[in-house]
Amino acid sequence: MVVTQASPPRLSRWLMAALPYVAAVVISFLAAGVFIAVMGFNVLRAYETILFTSFRTPNGFIQTLLKFVPLTLQALAFTVPLAAGKFNIGGEGQMIVGAIGATAVGILFAGAPGVLLLPSVLLASVLAGALWAAIPGWLLYRFGINEILSTVLMNFVSFQLINYVATEIWPDPAAGHPTTVPIGEGALLPLLIRRPPLHLGFLLTIVVAVLVYIYVTRTVYGYELVATGANPRAAQVYGIPVQVLSVLALVLGGAMAGLAGGVEVAGIHRRLIEGLQSNYLTLGILAGLIAKGRVVAVPFVAFFLSVLEVGASAMQRTMMIPGEMVIIVEAFIVLFILLSEVIRRR
Amino acid sequence: MTAPLVEMRHIHKRFGDVVALEDVHFELQAGEIHGLLGGNGAGKTTLMNILYGLYTADRGEIHVRGQRVLIHSPRDALHLGIGMVHQHFLQVAPFTVVENIALGTLPRLGGKKHVRAAADRIQALAQQFGLAVDPHAVVEDLPVGVRQRVEILKALYRGADVLILDEPTTNLTPQEVDALFQSLRAMVAQGLSVIFITHKIREVMAVCDRVTVLREGRNVFTRSRAETREEDLVRGMVGEQLDVQHSFLFSGRPQETEHTAGAPLIQVHDLTVLGDNNVPAVQGCTFTVREGEILGIAGVAGNGQTELAEALMGIRPIAQGEVTINGYRVRVGSTRHLLARDVAYIPEDRLEDGYLPAASVAHNLILGYHRRPPYSRGSFLDWPAVFQAAWRLIKEYNIRTAGPTEIAANLSGGNIQRLMLARAFAHPFRVLIAHNPTRGLDIPSTEFVYRKLLEARARGAAILLISEDLDELLLLCDRIGTLYRGQLMGILDRPAFDKYRIGEMMAGVAATQA
Amino acid sequence: MDAQLQVITFLRLVMITLVPYVLAAQGTMLGGRTGVFSVAQEGIMLVAASVGFLAAYYLGGLLYGVLAAMLVGGIVGLLLAYFTTTLKMDQFVIGLALFFATAGFSSLAYKVAIGVTLIPPLIPTLPDVPLPVLSQLPLVGDIFFRHNVFVYLAIVLSLVLYVLLYRTGIGLELRAVGESPLAADSLGVNVTLMRYVTTVVGGMLMGLAGVYLPMAYTGTFTEDIVRGRGWLSIALTFFGGWNPHFILLGAFFFAGVEVLAFRAQVTNVGIPYQFLLMLPYLATILVMIPGFRWARVPAFLGRNYDREKRAQV
Repeated sequence: MVVTQASPPRLSRWLMAALPYVAAVVISFLAAGVFIAVMGFNVLRAYETILFTSFRTPNGFIQTLLKFVPLTLQALAFTVPLAAGKFNIGGEGQMIVGAIGATAVGILFAGAPGVLLLPSVLLASVLAGALWAAIPGWLLYRFGINEILSTVLMNFVSFQLINYVATEIWPDPAAGHPTTVPIGEGALLPLLIRRPPLHLGFLLTIVVAVLVYIYVTRTVYGYELVATGANPRAAQVYGIPVQVLSVLALVLGGAMAGLAGGVEVAGIHRRLIEGLQSNYLTLGILAGLIAKGRVVAVPFVAFFLSVLEVGASAMQRTMMIPGEMVIIVEAFIVLFILLSEVIRRR
Repeated sequence: MTAPLVEMRHIHKRFGDVVALEDVHFELQAGEIHGLLGGNGAGKTTLMNILYGLYTADRGEIHVRGQRVLIHSPRDALHLGIGMVHQHFLQVAPFTVVENIALGTLPRLGGKKHVRAAADRIQALAQQFGLAVDPHAVVEDLPVGVRQRVEILKALYRGADVLILDEPTTNLTPQEVDALFQSLRAMVAQGLSVIFITHKIREVMAVCDRVTVLREGRNVFTRSRAETREEDLVRGMVGEQLDVQHSFLFSGRPQETEHTAGAPLIQVHDLTVLGDNNVPAVQGCTFTVREGEILGIAGVAGNGQTELAEALMGIRPIAQGEVTINGYRVRVGSTRHLLARDVAYIPEDRLEDGYLPAASVAHNLILGYHRRPPYSRGSFLDWPAVFQAAWRLIKEYNIRTAGPTEIAANLSGGNIQRLMLARAFAHPFRVLIAHNPTRGLDIPSTEFVYRKLLEARARGAAILLISEDLDELLLLCDRIGTLYRGQLMGILDRPAFDKYRIGEMMAGVAATQA
Repeated sequence: MDAQLQVITFLRLVMITLVPYVLAAQGTMLGGRTGVFSVAQEGIMLVAASVGFLAAYYLGGLLYGVLAAMLVGGIVGLLLAYFTTTLKMDQFVIGLALFFATAGFSSLAYKVAIGVTLIPPLIPTLPDVPLPVLSQLPLVGDIFFRHNVFVYLAIVLSLVLYVLLYRTGIGLELRAVGESPLAADSLGVNVTLMRYVTTVVGGMLMGLAGVYLPMAYTGTFTEDIVRGRGWLSIALTFFGGWNPHFILLGAFFFAGVEVLAFRAQVTNVGIPYQFLLMLPYLATILVMIPGFRWARVPAFLGRNYDREKRAQV
């Protein structure tokens, strides 16, 4: 067989790589614009609100960074198992259980000094999230049960668990919504910026993202993870313990989702509140899919989605356009990015 | 001669950037067995898949019985009386024979009684052509030889009078090959015409009336067998790519003076391995491979070869018995320790078992060796060293790629095969377990593998060569053992090699009885 | 309440509750039998519940809602078929993207149409249609033959699918596509058409499963109306071994657990209600352990067929 046609030079290849992303975003926004116009809203004002709310005021920007923290952690919780070919759809439950773990330690040892309490609270969230993910991991390892199903079902279990903790174990009777009493002062994350407040979790997230990046791309364990995701059978034939790695990847994902819960408790809410997981799982998975599973791209995509998210809630507040609009736009971005792949293959 | 029954003119076909067929002509006369000869990658199967409607030609015309026809799908081909038996049987494993054969012909909403009628017709056809099968047997339970009959019956059931057979002798014993050739002659006698795809010159000379030779997607020549010599076919298949005079493939293994086998490196004692269905796939096997020796394992596919190789490499649990390789006692999970002890493995299905399509070329080249220097130091990979090695291998093995970072899925089939060879032979080994190492390779690559195997043997490596190609084993091995239903039927030394005797062992006759 | 009445009530509730599980799981099974594995059930059920409810509410008839739900389910099925079968994109990724898009669209549509209200708008729930003669039978009549039409539909559909799959030529072709599309294709079976039809019809069934929830239970749409039933139906499909008849039988178990959890809550058995509400999910995880062992999954499940792809290798 004869191969024709040399590969194109480097610069145009970079442009070719960027083009689909730009095109996907533009097309998705255009499609949403048509929809917004049909509903009878001002399209340009909607665009402006979505894209620029984050950058107009310091408060808007800090809001964006605060969304960025759990969103990035959730995105990594999805992406790391994905590198091994496993779908972790259980980040929501892992975050909730992580938050419960953090709250439990924060309440039980409320009097402990901060140097001890804060690390324990965060560690508890990491362990709780990891444990919650270890259950589907074990079911996969031992019985071959599809991890998509088991992780998602664990979410529904966690919804009841958080409700139980917040209404039966440490309820705050004054709150109108299932909420626990506050955690100890020492458990709170220190602030990086006072006004508007940005907590240390931001830095922590950056560190986690960098560590994950090094782990996946620079270590032999990361190599084995990637090989497992690329072809588990071949990886196994060449001596890589794929089943153990798959479980490990899920547990690692759970740990990061759990940390997201811990950071939300210790940095934002200072207590456990039902619903604190918000829609970060959805956003995290969408971020992971838009990044096409590339760990290096995840924080950037997560930041972009945080901007959209802050813009969407502003849009809902000021223009009465439902915020779900943005989720649909993001799902479309995923589809269009994948579509561009198909076009390039031809 | 009358107008040809089938004529293909000016056929062009490319897959992505790869030109598979260029301006190819082919014609089949009524009542002949027409050989289509060429190495892997010559385009034989592609050409016939176009005739059968599985692929669409980019350009060119097809005429059947003098009429120009358009064949968009196998349905069209079947209507024109063209049937094809693929090398990898296209069968629905959990279905019965009758369900497989009658698939697509039963009335849409028809019920059981149509299936019964179909079974009766299959019985009649089976008797007419001497292709005995049980219509109600489940296909996945049948041996390969019977599954091939099912495949032929599929075409006959649809009234095909042109039968395309793609490498039909793969996985048949020499005795079964003889029987197949007889059936083919019987079919031709009853008015069928046959296209016989093969890469074996001997088969062309044995059964074909005419032969068309393809090389690198182009016609070389078409001649009647009577006026063709074997050398012409060899030269036609390989062209200038290969020095035929010095080729192992065509002139055989050189005679060596004295052969002294050294210390035992692979020791297998009373090995039993379970298959996927938890039934023993390998039973009570005992053998030894020494330094500087190639032990061949012959057998029809599915007689325990895969399970044997996987157990030896620590991929599959050992149910009973002992395996010691290079002084290391093998258990399930030993794979990485074996690889670290200079044991190399070439798996049977290199695409399934050795290729990472979604990862880079560099990732692929170091798979299994990634924990060794120079590729890694401690827990960290040394990417500059990996890239350096990758560039070297890309050049040395003539892999066409943009570089080590290119995603392997973008590579063409031939390049993927060379990538796998580069990985297998780039790292020196003391022990090699190779399963069908030349399957799917073109002629120069096959030659290259043979050369490497004999080189390794000369420097004292122990090689276990599991192959379903008996000619390959006869060419390379010092001793050949034959697997039948997981049992070793006996091991023959080189002076005792006899194709038909091994064929009997492949069919289950033990060496002592033979 | 005396014991007999309790049992009758329980079984009646099981019959009513199994409908969405059966419909969604049969839809999953149908697509899967040709190799297309949807993971968008939850989203399709949500969007069908929302759109179906709105159609029934504004057009003033449950039938409109049913048709709208089938339409929207069929459209999502069509998208799934197009992206996977024609464009050959990863089935799980597309399924997830469609799940998010449809789940988002369900509440978007509701909010745009209805807005935020204190008293939710209501549609009438499905009336019971007692079957003549059969409903007069003692015990059995009450349990099986006094139900809304969806209950009968779910049962009949399962039986029809069984006959179709195992007793007809088209069923043989359909199963062949999910086992070995190349073998089916080489004998002239239209693989693409088969995959499209089953995925679209499967989407319609999931749509019916979704719209059943407002029509049979609540009379209105809420964002948490589906509560994982879409995901549970995937588990049910595995539990039923991808066979229509075993799926129907398995649905009795799934529905039984759901009813049990709610009844236990009402009767106050001393366990915190949150743990009772976990029961369906925990029970499902438990039954998946044997379920995944005995399920014979279609060999080509989750993969995309490309006739010419083999040539590149």
